[in-house]
Amino acid sequence: MLLTRADKILIGILVIASSGGIGLNMAALSAAGQQEAHVYKEGKLIQTIPLRPGYHQELRLGGAERYNLIMADNGRIRVAEADCPDQICVRTGWIGVAPQQIVCLPYRVVIKLESSIAPDIDDITK
Amino acid sequence: MDTRRVVILGLFVAIAGVLHAVESWLPLPIPIPGAKLGLANIVSLLVISIYGWRDALLVAVLRVLLGSLLSGALLGPAFAMSMCGALISATGMAYAFYHWRPMFSLVGISIIGAALHNLAQIAVAAFLVASPGLFWYLPYLLLFALPTGLATGLTTSFFLAKLPRNREVEKFR
Repeated sequence: MLLTRADKILIGILVIASSGGIGLNMAALSAAGQQEAHVYKEGKLIQTIPLRPGYHQELRLGGAERYNLIMADNGRIRVAEADCPDQICVRTGWIGVAPQQIVCLPYRVVIKLESSIAPDIDDITK
Repeated sequence: MDTRRVVILGLFVAIAGVLHAVESWLPLPIPIPGAKLGLANIVSLLVISIYGWRDALLVAVLRVLLGSLLSGALLGPAFAMSMCGALISATGMAYAFYHWRPMFSLVGISIIGAALHNLAQIAVAAFLVASPGLFWYLPYLLLFALPTGLATGLTTSFFLAKLPRNREVEKFR
């Protein structure tokens, strides 16, 4: 047999840890309240886009080349077009629920969704 | 380092560099930053088992340079991620190979390497975009590391089983 007992335990731990983590991620999705999208490039907050029904906005980051075309529409947001090599940001598609995010590593762009209603805790210190 | 060793390590660098470049052309079914098949880990694990950790780290560094040059990602964000991922996974696999081997098989060591690779990549990516929120993807990446680590580990085992026996290889069996 190729797999030893330690291998199987390792596989088990990884399966449990990752599915637990995915479960927690799913549980953290909260559609409650108004969502807004924070657009960061190279670690700096560029713009905050409100996501509400009927609101439409497009935002272009970068120049003629090395661009991301971001589109917010009707409570959702996506990267409609980009010329980055991996296209991960475009293929992520529409997101609309915090704390979902879209990441474009080549151009160091992050679109993070946040609930603009304060969550049910007093404060978070960082 | 004798000539034979230089030639074989050179061949391993070439194979790993091509695997590294080709893998960046393959589209993955899941749009997760940092997800990779880790085909070049096959070569890292092979070099660890045949020549030891020093040569494995050398091959890992050279293949990231070569692979990034071929795929046009040299010195970009993807390069930093690959380099850290390759070094950390090769180090971790070498440690596991020398210390935990009868306990873990090559497949287990390969899964450890794949998980470390993804962990290192997401850490570098989070640093590059200055957003710790990227660790949100970690469970998906760890889950993804299982089939890829299993596949690369099995490939390595089968390769070593078919490898013609000679003095150098025999030492590390």
